[in-house]
Amino acid sequence: MNVAAKGEAGTWLVAGAAAACLAALLALLAWLTLAGLAALWPSRIVEARLDDGRNALGEIVASSDAALAIRTSERDRIGGGYVRLLRSTIASTSEPDDAFVVALADGRRLYGRGDASVAAAAQRDSGSPEAEETVWPNALGFFGRAGLFVRHAGRFLATSTPAPALVGGVLPALIGTVTLVALMSLIVMPLGVAAAVYLHERRGFAASLVRGAIANLAGVPSIVYGVLGLGLFVHGLGADLDRWFFADRLPVPTFGAGGLLWAALTLAILTLPVVVVSVEEGLARIPPSLRAGSLALGATEGETIWRLLLPAARPALLTGLILAIARAAGAVAPLMLVGVVKLAPALPVDATFPYLHPSRQFMHLGFTVYDAALAGPDALRGVPRAFAAALLLVAVVVALNLFAIVLRNRLRERYRALES
Amino acid sequence: MSVNPDTYGAFLRTKHDPALTRRRQRRDRLGQLAVQLGTVVVLAALLSIPLFLIASLAAWTPLPERAWERLGTLFAGTLKAATCALLVAVPLGIGAAVFNASFASPRFRGWFKPCLEILEAIPTVVLGLVAFATVAPWLKGHVATLLALVVAMPALLLAGGFALGARAKHANGWLPLWILPVMIAIVAVAASTSRQPLIAVTTPWNTLLIGLALGLAAVPLVFSIAEDALMLIPATHVRSALALGATRWQAFVSIVMPAARSGFIAAIVLGASRCLGETMIVLMASGNTPLADFNLLEGVRTLSAELVLGLPEAAPPGGAYRLLLLAALALFVLTFTLNLVAAQARARLHRRADRGALA
Repeated sequence: MNVAAKGEAGTWLVAGAAAACLAALLALLAWLTLAGLAALWPSRIVEARLDDGRNALGEIVASSDAALAIRTSERDRIGGGYVRLLRSTIASTSEPDDAFVVALADGRRLYGRGDASVAAAAQRDSGSPEAEETVWPNALGFFGRAGLFVRHAGRFLATSTPAPALVGGVLPALIGTVTLVALMSLIVMPLGVAAAVYLHERRGFAASLVRGAIANLAGVPSIVYGVLGLGLFVHGLGADLDRWFFADRLPVPTFGAGGLLWAALTLAILTLPVVVVSVEEGLARIPPSLRAGSLALGATEGETIWRLLLPAARPALLTGLILAIARAAGAVAPLMLVGVVKLAPALPVDATFPYLHPSRQFMHLGFTVYDAALAGPDALRGVPRAFAAALLLVAVVVALNLFAIVLRNRLRERYRALES
Repeated sequence: MSVNPDTYGAFLRTKHDPALTRRRQRRDRLGQLAVQLGTVVVLAALLSIPLFLIASLAAWTPLPERAWERLGTLFAGTLKAATCALLVAVPLGIGAAVFNASFASPRFRGWFKPCLEILEAIPTVVLGLVAFATVAPWLKGHVATLLALVVAMPALLLAGGFALGARAKHANGWLPLWILPVMIAIVAVAASTSRQPLIAVTTPWNTLLIGLALGLAAVPLVFSIAEDALMLIPATHVRSALALGATRWQAFVSIVMPAARSGFIAAIVLGASRCLGETMIVLMASGNTPLADFNLLEGVRTLSAELVLGLPEAAPPGGAYRLLLLAALALFVLTFTLNLVAAQARARLHRRADRGALA
């Protein structure tokens, strides 16, 4: 072994760094999938007999070497049934086949043993008018559980969030996110494309000013954009709008409080650099001969751009849009200043005229993750719920990004074909 | 691509139809106007951030008592969190970039970059959730394990390099995929050992945790800037060195690394800028305790977290509101300056690359 070859060991260090990045990504995605799906997977019901003769029936929600936390029947309020049992005091645990769980419409869960009539009696005693479902999970086989899981997942996606417990589905947050992102796209795309065309066509001081602003502001933290949205849009523009058009409703603010419109505008500014950069890159890759040919045939500048360059750069426009959407869907911090709420009384889109309500507060998937994990009323329910919402969010964002990556690769091949 | 027949037909007709020509020119001017209008709006929107912050601070309201002390504490917390995160992000990001640009096989490169783009795309609120709910409870009992891993992993890699790498004439382009399972196995074994914790922590949501999560969030940015710089170095230089008998690692250390130095600086500076302004991770996993000390086992509170927590309650003309705007301005100036520095460093590198003066 000569001395020079020894230096080759350094490649192992940098390869290790690359491996660590991959390991982190894999671990993160795997854990998210696991924890997100586990939140919806039906858990078994455990009966723990204690040394002193008492017993506790319910689901294990946390366990450590020293103790178990079990959710037993929540007779009067949600989150009211947790018991912590020291492992040293537990005589035996079992999973009886006849144990049932009744999920009540208000989010409470009741546990018991017996057949359907016992379950119905338990539900009547609880004071809740209806039960969402009654199941005997210990008696179910794998496929029975999988069916239950699918039903839970469907309910998580497609039902609304009841107050005040914040359990149940995330449909309002999903609708809020989609509406917000759609509105933001409508604002950011025309502006971003216009700026990209300008940067592509012009050189000079103004162009370099725009370019510099875009390049440097792309790195400004998103929370600063949120401060801008709050100060300029909500407290500035919104308060003015209220004074001019909604004076009869004051002091109740209409646009003077955070809402969908201000959030969309804030996110539009936040994602402008992404759109401009990727559209300009797309325009720059189009061979100049195409443009020269068009001009030589007598087309005006505008016609060349509108009918030749922009259609040729369509994939780049799409890439910009997708990246902007992915960035906007994941941005939570600025939204917390401009109108996202943990529980909105009404959806931002509904069937009453004018269908889209830009001044309404809204719910957001990313904020649901934060809120369920940290600010929810019941942390032992909140964290699994946050993981399920996070899995949904990551699935959407990663899918969008993968799509953008595939599109970009195809774009490169297409330009290569154009050049040859 | 063929010429659009409409355009061509329109051109033929214009020869005989002055009205059509006028209409086309008018449409053209309208189009130009729209583009300029859009650009002006974009510029106004982007410049409105500094203008708004400065303008609203100029309106004089007295700051609350001990405001500067408060800002100082937050500033110290921000710096502490960002430094800790950089200690994670810079070795990982730059190391991965170096491997990817100088040693990886082309097919590995084609896969690796999108992987890091996916990592970048994961919303920080999700990273915050995992740090808060999963890593923190583990870290509470395993601070010593973590530190041991941080020391042992590079040592093991170097040992592996000396034992196995020296035999191969050129580095294996897929090396990370060989290391990956071993690394996962070591971390998994180390993570699952449970003993009495050697280092007791008061709070599981401490700066160490922030460093890990925030650092991971900044890795893709550091990676892409550094890799960008490394890719600018002409391959002919490296090939000449190899022809003269240098190993790949020698070629990298003596030729590529010095040439790409400004790129590395830009990567570190941009990584710092990212870490300073990141909000959700710090908000969720730091405990938000305003402390100005250098204990990594205590929590922190950063400027960004203070903004999110404080602004919804602060009323516009008040002193508390003004203090928060001041915090926002500080954050803006800090990150903007860092971005400028990084942009300068990158521009220098690109200029030299264009001149062919690298290496």
